Amino acid sequence: MVSELTVLFRRRRTWAMLLALAAVPVLIAVAVRLATSPVAPGRGPPFLDRVTQNGLFVAITSMVVCIPLFLPLTIGVVAGDTIAGEAGLGTLRYLLVAPAGRVRLLIVKFAGAAVFCLAATLTVAVSGAAIGAALFPIGPVALLSGDTIGVGESVLRSLLIAGYVTISLLGLSAIGLFISTLTEVPVGAMAATIVVSVVAQVLDALPQLDWLHPWLFSHYWLDFADLLRQPLEWTSFGNNALLQGGYLLVFGALAYGRFVTKDILS
Amino acid sequence: MKRRLRSWLPVAVVPAVVIVGVLTVPLQAGAAVDLPDKTPAQVLAMIGDSNVKALSGTIEQASELGLPSLPRTGSGVDASASSALELLTGTHTARVYLNGPDNIRVQVMDRLAERDLVRNASDIWMYNSKDNTAVHVTLPDTTGMTRPPEDGLQQTPAKLAERMLAAIDPSTAVTVGKDTRVAGRTAYELRLTPRTDATLVGEVSIAVDSETGMPLRVEVQARGQSAPAFSLAFTKVSLEAPNSDLFDFTPPAGAKVEEKSLPDASALHEKAMSGAKMPATEGEAKKLVEQMTAGQMTAGQLTNGAGMLPGVTVDGTGWASVVELPAGTVSADVLASPLLAQATERVDGGRLLSTALLTVLVTADGRVFAGSVPAARLQAAAVGG
Repeated sequence: MVSELTVLFRRRRTWAMLLALAAVPVLIAVAVRLATSPVAPGRGPPFLDRVTQNGLFVAITSMVVCIPLFLPLTIGVVAGDTIAGEAGLGTLRYLLVAPAGRVRLLIVKFAGAAVFCLAATLTVAVSGAAIGAALFPIGPVALLSGDTIGVGESVLRSLLIAGYVTISLLGLSAIGLFISTLTEVPVGAMAATIVVSVVAQVLDALPQLDWLHPWLFSHYWLDFADLLRQPLEWTSFGNNALLQGGYLLVFGALAYGRFVTKDILS
Repeated sequence: MKRRLRSWLPVAVVPAVVIVGVLTVPLQAGAAVDLPDKTPAQVLAMIGDSNVKALSGTIEQASELGLPSLPRTGSGVDASASSALELLTGTHTARVYLNGPDNIRVQVMDRLAERDLVRNASDIWMYNSKDNTAVHVTLPDTTGMTRPPEDGLQQTPAKLAERMLAAIDPSTAVTVGKDTRVAGRTAYELRLTPRTDATLVGEVSIAVDSETGMPLRVEVQARGQSAPAFSLAFTKVSLEAPNSDLFDFTPPAGAKVEEKSLPDASALHEKAMSGAKMPATEGEAKKLVEQMTAGQMTAGQLTNGAGMLPGVTVDGTGWASVVELPAGTVSADVLASPLLAQATERVDGGRLLSTALLTVLVTADGRVFAGSVPAARLQAAAVGG
């Protein structure tokens, strides 16, 4: 497990992706800072107009911007690479020669992807808070309900949001892991995972399919805003965790079935 | 080969377990409820007796009115009007907190935004997080006011319920449906079915909490539509008093605050303080109450109340009545506006807005016909009138 994580986080690719994610809040903050006219409320991404008043909103705005594409993109790369990457490099059979067993390998690979999910969301949150603190005043945060909370509690809520987003991405990671066991071409698995995430979001936007929406793993992605209400609204947190757990079980089982029965030739 | 099959076993079992779990959990929630039988009058009396002072809950509102989606922006769209219309269409979730008659907070939860309404004694705040604006209204101080005598209303809820039932009986059949469960509480279901086929309303059902008599759900069925055209229901409710901090609202720094006062609040207040009476209105109101409680009023007469307004006439009775507004109600430039053209369709005799529950006909000369009736009935009324 430790060696898996060191391999993952020693890769230049991993660092490049985390850097790109960290750049999103920086970009937003610098653009708002340099803009001559203040951002009108209700224009642009949500919360953008609050940024000039409170730097802590940079993290939240960039989370909204990252969730639909950037985060699934990086998760797709990592999760799609899990098994197919080893197969593509020809190292998979050496891994399986060790008496560790296939199930354990699968679990370790998934855990690695999950840790990356957490790292990715924390990167966005921390870099957003840091750049916001550097360029804008920091103060009590106004919630969606109009109530105001102190800096300490707002940091706590940011961490909760990071946790929520991490959980939201676990379902996609499980799908990526399953796709990764289907092929030996890592790029194919990465692309397929990303396509799945985009398709899910497109379906979620079609009002004609509203019976399907609660079953899409991307349905609750943007509901992390419920953590910005006063009092805290936990319903979507619970729904999201249940849904992602369901995806994890189903696609984990599929990945297991495929991987255990597969002939490993490379 | 056998080993292979065995390895695939979890693949079949796990999704099966997940699907079974998904299917059974809602079934358990909807397990049959059996409450002691009650007559419609008893259930109605329960509503009247209901004495819920404090609660916190979540309300979900869904409408399938078949309204065309309205443009959100653009010239000629009044922001407040379109916001109110928007609340009537689609699905909304709101949290409601209530503590006594003076402390109310309603939060309409939009995606990545929220609209709040807070009432704390005489302060009313409205806050919209999307554009970070707040409206503050101060109510006139009512503590010194003497309330008009309520002798017309001083009757037991049971008696009142019976009289109300007698009053609406000619137009509506009232029955108690199957006991249900709403937001985890057992409830009686009161069903109001129009006795006429000429209306679009198929049935109105009200779920009444079996313990407190509080209405938990209201559904309006349109004729020939399986899903309710309109429903408003608690999904979660707790009768404990919410935290009192919730009612202390201060708009966040940087929010645009608009102060509004009620138009002639001070004048009204003075009148009330000096004990001046408004005999006409009071007498009329009293008569109305007397008529209603004496069971002399039919639903048709109730709707005829609208006829008191100048120029407004009501045609027909009960559920199938049609309200007519005189010529010139809709001005020519509104008639020509693209918004109206987009929301309505051209029919014989004017432009028609039809929804599952209500149809509105605007004629070329600016008369407006509205009713919970099929379009042909409105057209007939327009020609005949």
